[in-house]
Amino acid sequence: MMDSPAHGAPRTWREIHLAPVAQLDEGTLERLALELSKRSALPCRAVPPPLAGELPRVPNRPQLDADRLLVSLEPLAEVDAPLVGITAVDIAVPIFAYVFGRARLGGRAVVISLARLDPEHYGLPRDPGLVARRAAAEILHELGHAAGLAHCEDPACLMRFAASVEAADLRGATFCADCAARLPHGLVRSTAGAPQG
Amino acid sequence: MSPDTPKSPPASILVVDDEPIVLQSLGDWFRQDGYLVDTAANAKEALRIAAERPHDIALLDIKMPGIDGLELQERLVKEVPDLTIIVMTAYASIESAVRALKAGAYDYITKPFDPDELSHLVRRAAEHRSLRSENERLKEQLASVAGPSPLVGVSAAMRHVQDLIDAVAVSDATVLVRGESGTGKELVARAVHARSPRRFGPLVVVNCGALPEGVLESELFGHEKGAFTGAQFRHKGKFELADGGTVFLDEIGTVTPRVQVELLRVLEEKKVTRLGGTVPIRTDFRVVAATNMDLEAAVREGRFRDDLYWRLNVFTIDLPPLRDRAGDIPALAEHFLQRFTLAMNRPPMKLSPAALDTLLSHSWPGNVRELQNAIERAVVMGKPPTIEVADLPLRIGEAESRPGPMSLEELERAHIRRVLDGSDWNISQAAKVLGIDRGTLYAKIRRYGFERVPTA
Repeated sequence: MMDSPAHGAPRTWREIHLAPVAQLDEGTLERLALELSKRSALPCRAVPPPLAGELPRVPNRPQLDADRLLVSLEPLAEVDAPLVGITAVDIAVPIFAYVFGRARLGGRAVVISLARLDPEHYGLPRDPGLVARRAAAEILHELGHAAGLAHCEDPACLMRFAASVEAADLRGATFCADCAARLPHGLVRSTAGAPQG
Repeated sequence: MSPDTPKSPPASILVVDDEPIVLQSLGDWFRQDGYLVDTAANAKEALRIAAERPHDIALLDIKMPGIDGLELQERLVKEVPDLTIIVMTAYASIESAVRALKAGAYDYITKPFDPDELSHLVRRAAEHRSLRSENERLKEQLASVAGPSPLVGVSAAMRHVQDLIDAVAVSDATVLVRGESGTGKELVARAVHARSPRRFGPLVVVNCGALPEGVLESELFGHEKGAFTGAQFRHKGKFELADGGTVFLDEIGTVTPRVQVELLRVLEEKKVTRLGGTVPIRTDFRVVAATNMDLEAAVREGRFRDDLYWRLNVFTIDLPPLRDRAGDIPALAEHFLQRFTLAMNRPPMKLSPAALDTLLSHSWPGNVRELQNAIERAVVMGKPPTIEVADLPLRIGEAESRPGPMSLEELERAHIRRVLDGSDWNISQAAKVLGIDRGTLYAKIRRYGFERVPTA
């Protein structure tokens, strides 16, 4: 998270663009688009890789620099369609060992990594469906920031702060009423709070 | 804040690091997690900010140009002893982190931070800090309830007092308790607090008459380090400690004009500025004040501010002297007998009929306190299971039960002795009761060779 909260009425978003950033196969991207469509009333469309060439890395670490990725993605996003950069590579910022995702309050782009949402990262069996559900929740959380929302104290709200994948799993699958009221129209379906399968 | 459902304010964090990106990242991160955050790029700035605003937790980078994190820690510990310090370090400087821990740091964390670890560490530190504050508050509360003594009495006068306490306790109104020395004004304050919605908050007692002006100011309002000679540490004042509870200002009539001005400001604004400080601190307290003085006369004579008088005189409870409620003496005597036999591990004791008659025939210028002292002494002197007249302090018998022919000087000697003991040797109070000045009283004490006799 960076910068100060955006003010004013919720923005209008036409659709959500999902873009592969690094090491992301088409099948995963499609699965994510499908999962996100279950929760969001906005059309979720896969777009071609927006960034070419060497991607920014955190010095002396094998991770992509989330903040610098975000800076690169922001100008490529359309005004009414947030751009979600998705990578399978671990992301971080210099002061933190890792982050799950990154967004700027009131920004147009967000970036998320699947690396630490994957149970295999923790030595657990492969589960592409779980990764997709976690990724969809993380995308909505970061889009909440992009829409101007800060973290929420409601333990059942998707905007609740979570520093671990367990904490992210424990928080709710949708936004509390206060946060939902400040989101762009259609970002979440009214039935999005149903338990995850 | 509702004392019944206390909600802790968010913890405040001071982050000190010479790298701007670290300050920005951590600042944003903590703010998003609901903390209040200040950032400082060097030790000098950190010390300035720490002096301006209170913080619960400080995160200090060890490696900084100029004053490094360890030296900064040393200085912060001196200036803000209750600050919880976490040091931030790179793997290469673990030894420095260990030094920091030995110097009292709460914990350390290595860069780059694991978000989960940092989140848990800071949450734990905030809880630790909150528990320490709670401990401080409970100690204050414990001190306020130590040696509890209920208001004893079934007389019409005391029933009226109980009714008044019940009526006012539930409100947040300021209460002024009036009555002669020894009538139990502090017990009324405790009862008001105990029956109020603030009962789970602290009751902080300040005896305004027992402290010189400068000390009283510091006790009431607190002070910053260096506010005056000897102020080596920051000190929280009683109003700050009473946050969520009640302040009992005993002997309010003795407060000097300068402190009266400060008191009035604090009572009106509910904000305290520590001596030597610049930042007002908001605190939520209720005031119960007490006096045995004629405050109206003090106002007329210009010794007591009329605006402060009106601020305090919202709801008055007048405590009757013991001589006006002699019917309560047996119950009070029984109450003190039980209390002192228990405290001194003595067998149960009872008053003989003659001893009770003696107590009933006494005029009790020192009121309930004098009766309490008499019973305490009798429990020491008496042979279980009965307390006889001879076990009571002689002065009770001398002056009233067995007057006999006495010269004027003998009468004066006995009377002064009785008033002194009745006021627990409070010279000012005794002089006031006797209608003489303190110097004259001291001269008479020397003349009659009086010495204070311990009662237990």
